[in-house]
Amino acid sequence: MPESADPKAGAYFDAWHGGVVDTMIGMPASSAERNTKHYAQMNAGILDKEAREKFTFPAQYMFKDVPDYGEVDDPVALLLAEMDRFNITRGMINVATNEVARAAAANHPDRFIASFNADPNRGMDCVRELEIAVKELGVRSAQVFPAGLLPQVPINDKKLYPLYAKCVELDIPIFVNAGVPGPRVPMACQDVAHIDEVCWFFPDLKFVMRHGAEPWTRLAAKLMLKWPNLYYSTSAFAPKHYPADIVHFANTRGADKMIYAGYFPMGLSLERIFSELPSVPFRDHVWPKFLRENAERILGLETA
Amino acid sequence: MTITNDEIKAIGAIDLMLGIPTGDPKRWYEFLRKQLLDRESREEFEFPAQYMFKNVPHFEESMDDPVSYVLAQMDHHGIAKAMLGNSFHNDETQNTIKAHPDRFFGSFEVDPNRGMEGVRELEAAVRELGVKAATAFPAGMSPQVPINDKKFYPIYAKCVELDIPICVCAGVPGPRVPFAPQEVALIDEVCWFFPDLKFVTRHGCEPWADLAVKLMLKWPNLHYSTSAFAPKFYPKDVIDYANTRGAEKVMYAGYFPMGLTLDRIFSELPGVPFRDHVWPKFLRENAQRVFQLDA
Repeated sequence: MPESADPKAGAYFDAWHGGVVDTMIGMPASSAERNTKHYAQMNAGILDKEAREKFTFPAQYMFKDVPDYGEVDDPVALLLAEMDRFNITRGMINVATNEVARAAAANHPDRFIASFNADPNRGMDCVRELEIAVKELGVRSAQVFPAGLLPQVPINDKKLYPLYAKCVELDIPIFVNAGVPGPRVPMACQDVAHIDEVCWFFPDLKFVMRHGAEPWTRLAAKLMLKWPNLYYSTSAFAPKHYPADIVHFANTRGADKMIYAGYFPMGLSLERIFSELPSVPFRDHVWPKFLRENAERILGLETA
Repeated sequence: MTITNDEIKAIGAIDLMLGIPTGDPKRWYEFLRKQLLDRESREEFEFPAQYMFKNVPHFEESMDDPVSYVLAQMDHHGIAKAMLGNSFHNDETQNTIKAHPDRFFGSFEVDPNRGMEGVRELEAAVRELGVKAATAFPAGMSPQVPINDKKFYPIYAKCVELDIPICVCAGVPGPRVPFAPQEVALIDEVCWFFPDLKFVTRHGCEPWADLAVKLMLKWPNLHYSTSAFAPKFYPKDVIDYANTRGAEKVMYAGYFPMGLTLDRIFSELPGVPFRDHVWPKFLRENAQRVFQLDA
């Protein structure tokens, strides 16, 4: 990055001023609601005592200063204010199971991108719901958390195939957690190696990794080189922990493959993310693609 | 409890597996050749399962009007309608079905090895060719694709969406290729994951006919068709099931001209010990319902 007298100058800030698309953001909820509703299902699959009894957030051993709001009166206003503060023009939120998010996406189509969290254990019902969500709610992507499903569903499992097929037909990307999951559940289903077979069988599927792909980031980069429609998003990682393999790939052949995603309010504050971001050693040309353009292209957002 | 050929004729059968004899039969099995390793299959057999069949129908290559010949055969035996394998590359079959929509309807052979291209083709075949069913031969695919393999799942999903049945060969295949992809046990998982899928077994389910019956009892949308079996070899388990709880589940399919003559099939049919109420369902009504054919 070129040296400059103004600490707020340079490629990062130029790109940032143009607006950020955050492909993973959530509705802030009061702590009680978050703990009972959002994490209850996953806790059913967790066996260790510490995680079951002491953690409120199943991956909390990995995170410092998880945002906590106590009581939340108006989650949409709170989220929009946070987004404004950090120049996030659009945030992608899951509307499948969250009524507040669904209403927010309907009321603020310029600010929110609706995503549909899918449960392949529900078979064709889930496929039909996804199709309806795209046609009627304007949903622009599907998302799956393989290790968090009950039972878990490996990335290359047959149960996911009808869903992948539907994403191809609907021409929407699917965001899938890959790499060792934070919550203390088995990792096997999120092995990055599984992605290879899926990209082979569904060459038109836009597949976006979520949550780091660690510790298989070299493989993730190798696969992104191999498969034109495979992408990486940085969700759940504080920028200072972005894997070196991924940063290197972005700087060499992968500038079009990297998509910014945060993790607010699930595990990271936007304050932390945006204070660390300028230090990520991306080359100049990567920044606008990373912060905005790649997401816009893959999600089919018109550039405003 | 016996039925006569005249009574069979009066029902107006629907034959769920019939072909128009055209060209060189050897050509029909080209797709299978690279899977066959044994010398006899490769060098001596015209028809890869011919060790199982006596008097495989034989035709001069230059038969003048095969469609009229088949229609005359159907009239003679009382086959009201028959399902033909249709495809985008087969103008003859497309024209035959167009010319005789009251006598023929089409099915579409899927290839799960072709991924979403195959799914799109199936959808186009339903919309553009008007096919009423998908068909699949798991052991004959290259590479073979087990009945419960993930490659099949997008096709099964599409059949559910299109509300068409899929007819799948199940049981040890005649051609000398591995049987594993056609084990009847594999059907259980498919019926579980796709409860709305109308799954019709083809080619006997042997030697697991008892399991096929158990599964048909368990899964409301699982059916059986008798393709490639001369009536005197219909498995006893299947006949018993049709006579007890399975009258709605068992459907007639022949194997002309691939391996059986209609003369043989219809001379043996009256010897099948179906109870009276089974016959019209077996020969006609079940197919009409499952394949959504006009009355």
